[in-house]
Amino acid sequence: MREQGPKKPGGPSGHSRRDFLRGSGVAAATAVLTSQASLALDEAEAAEQEPKVLSGTVDVSLKINGADRACKIEPRSTLLDVMRHQLDVTGPKRVCDRGSCGSCTTIIDGDPVYSCTSLAISCQGKTIQTLESFDTGEKSVAYAFHQNDGLMCGYCTPGFVTACKAFLDKNPNPTLEEVRKGLDGNICRCGTYIGVLNAALAAAKAMKGA
Amino acid sequence: MAKWPETTRLIGTPIPRLDGLLKASGKAKYPSDVRPEGTLFAVMLYSPHAHAKIKSIDTTAAEKMPGVKAVKVIDAIANGVASGKGATVHFHGDDIAAVAAETENQARDAIRAIKVDYEILPHVATEALSMAEGAPKVFDPSNVTQGRTQTRGKPVESMATAEVTIEGTYSVPMITHVCLETHGLTVKFDGEDKIQCWASTQNVGGVAGDLAGLMKLRPADVTVYTDYMGGGFGSKFGMDIWGKTAAELSKMAGGRPVKLFLDRVQEHLGAGNRPSASAHIKLGANRDGKLVAMIAESHGTGGVGGSGNVTLPYVYSIANTQVAQSAVRTNFGNQRAMRAPGHPQSCTLTEGAMDDLADKLGMDPLEFRLKNLAPNDFRTPTYEAELKIGAELIGWSEKHKPRGRNGSGPIKHGLGLALHQWGGGGGPGKQVSCTINSDGSVELKTATQDLGTGIRTVLAIIAAEILGLKPTDIISSIGNSTYPPGQASGGSTTTPTMAPPAYDAVTKARDSFFKKIAQAVQAKPEDLSLKDGQLWRSGEPIMGWKEACRKLFMSTISETGSFQQGLSSTGVAGCQFAEVAVDVETGVVKVKKIVAVQDSGLIIDKLTWESQVYGGVIMGLNYGLFEERVVDTTTGTMLNPDMEFYKLAGAADIPEIIVRAYEPAEIKSRGVIGVGEPPTISTAAAIGNAVANAIGVRVGEWPMSPRNVLNALGTASREGKA
Repeated sequence: MREQGPKKPGGPSGHSRRDFLRGSGVAAATAVLTSQASLALDEAEAAEQEPKVLSGTVDVSLKINGADRACKIEPRSTLLDVMRHQLDVTGPKRVCDRGSCGSCTTIIDGDPVYSCTSLAISCQGKTIQTLESFDTGEKSVAYAFHQNDGLMCGYCTPGFVTACKAFLDKNPNPTLEEVRKGLDGNICRCGTYIGVLNAALAAAKAMKGA
Repeated sequence: MAKWPETTRLIGTPIPRLDGLLKASGKAKYPSDVRPEGTLFAVMLYSPHAHAKIKSIDTTAAEKMPGVKAVKVIDAIANGVASGKGATVHFHGDDIAAVAAETENQARDAIRAIKVDYEILPHVATEALSMAEGAPKVFDPSNVTQGRTQTRGKPVESMATAEVTIEGTYSVPMITHVCLETHGLTVKFDGEDKIQCWASTQNVGGVAGDLAGLMKLRPADVTVYTDYMGGGFGSKFGMDIWGKTAAELSKMAGGRPVKLFLDRVQEHLGAGNRPSASAHIKLGANRDGKLVAMIAESHGTGGVGGSGNVTLPYVYSIANTQVAQSAVRTNFGNQRAMRAPGHPQSCTLTEGAMDDLADKLGMDPLEFRLKNLAPNDFRTPTYEAELKIGAELIGWSEKHKPRGRNGSGPIKHGLGLALHQWGGGGGPGKQVSCTINSDGSVELKTATQDLGTGIRTVLAIIAAEILGLKPTDIISSIGNSTYPPGQASGGSTTTPTMAPPAYDAVTKARDSFFKKIAQAVQAKPEDLSLKDGQLWRSGEPIMGWKEACRKLFMSTISETGSFQQGLSSTGVAGCQFAEVAVDVETGVVKVKKIVAVQDSGLIIDKLTWESQVYGGVIMGLNYGLFEERVVDTTTGTMLNPDMEFYKLAGAADIPEIIVRAYEPAEIKSRGVIGVGEPPTISTAAAIGNAVANAIGVRVGEWPMSPRNVLNALGTASREGKA
């Protein structure tokens, strides 16, 4: 996870809902709005005068796992919901839905990001990778999770595998303590952490031999 | 009586689970990932109040919202309002209505457009509020139900003559399951009279039965799929009000698929909890350390349904006991079974008192426990052996010091231990089918499901063992309600219930296979055997498995296995040790090391078995250190129905954990016993005892949070005890 804190991804790259609410995200989102989206903005302004449902949709194209995926979305939709509910990219899971648990972790322009607190509309033009696109061969992170039983029910696993891959890409020689900190932005309820830690160390070793 | 083979090639070794790579690559499709063509998204409206009367409800505006296809007011609410008397919601999160729309955003918007006229009523959202003098009477006939006092022997007289006694109050909080995949399902009609459903459930057969009953269909016309599911821990056995509602919405929307999964908030509030428990315990022993009496009064709450009963004393043998229990009803969602129901509470309350009495006796807590194991219990020799192993692994004899002698600086170190027990046996009535095809494929089928415990892999290991194949050669098909009846996954019963029929089915299939091909391979069936992927005749390999299967030509071998006595058993012991460091200035507890020693009969897959024990310990660590429901006593609402302030351990919180299986020959020969529940029972107790050992003061209130630790130190300091 990024150095600004394991439970608060986003930060400088402006993906978080918190940034959006603070205003900087609004500016970022506005910059990428197309003409169709001005409808939504008009509605938003109108809504300030009288309560009204904001139901405008915009056409966007998202580059997910190497493919350009066109879809109609509402500006308020999170990247996670667009992937899961419209594009059948269901590797990332919705668990806490507010940036606490890491199950939705997705790699955006090389950084691990909580996709439940990233607006889809702000992800246009960015490179989005989910774990479905990762290598699963014998030297992969996924394989190490499999061999070390770093999973039980498996619902947190996509987030852990994604966070682990992003972590190892930047820290190829971690100590156990570094792995603990690096993966501390993800929560598992089955309590499979021992397998996860073993898997991360095994993957680091295997990748070096790649 | 059936018996497992004396020597095994695969059983008992560490084998990665068959579906591990699918899960680790994001390709495993969970019920919440499924989105059939035309899926509508459903959202629940739930009570924002702890207790309120709904005088009226108006869904007109919601029905006209864009994308809305069906709106359903929960029957109890609709009927109450229609009667003119109004309907009552009993807790923050109680179900009111649901909307199905083309998109989830549209459904959420429509939920917000439902007008509900609430009359807020007095609430008792915590035990303290419910039991308080002058508390509003919320429940009929009363908020608190006093159970009958259970008496054994002569507790009052024995306590009076006991040479050493202690008296203390010990309590554990209510916690919630926090299944990562929330409760829910996707359901659709095929025509008028067939249903397909993808449910996150511990019981595919049960959900199919529930839906069939609801829609007045034959069970065979309902198919429930659970290829994977994201955690249940005892809370996902039926279709629930949410499954019922989704099916009704689907019917209203012409049979279109409806996907209804709870949001995280309602998952905390209404999808189950482990009841709290609090006990005032007097415990007496003679100077030699033999327990003579226990007198206890306990109460607990599991929300609107009350309960919260515990077993006192837990594990230990005491001749004279008097136990009075009260069930407290509160305005919170109802309890559900949660991993070893009742045991973590019973263990923590008893073991806290045990440790305090050992301290007062001036006796080593380990020795004190050994003196008080039930003399005629079959578990006693196992406890004795396990305690010896655990004590060595934690370094008890070198490191353990009496209370209050654990360093002069602000960081105090301590050791604690606790014992637990569980049933976890198998039972008859379930089946597994085994098919051997002429292409060499082997498939096992049964309508059980994998909660993450690894039953899919366990079945494959058993088949591979008998057929001389690799586990990956076996197709293990589960999670489909139309398969032969399988076990609902609760109480650590899945593996001990499903392993015997799997063994039976594969053994029968192998024998039928030998009979069928004997002539083609010029042998008598009894001369044939299978090993290393080869067919053997009179001790010589003659051909590979696939070639042998081709001798079946057009036919297929299919056998169904049933329960066989002798392959599984019930009843386990187990003990855990914890080492902690406590900062007495901040109250922060750091667990340094946990040792878990566990028996569970014959272990099938050592890798997934160990994962289960690690997982149990970590769930127990959460219970011991972090988890609690925080309630605003003014509104009665839960303040932390989330995953940031409802604390669960992350990777940085995980101590060194040593797991040791206790499996000598006499334990293995008992057959298969489940291991899901036992390893989570005693962790919190062991941690609490280690904290008391470290700081010299009993922290009677779990979890061992800074607040509770500092409160205990503060109280002790005021009373001049620390």
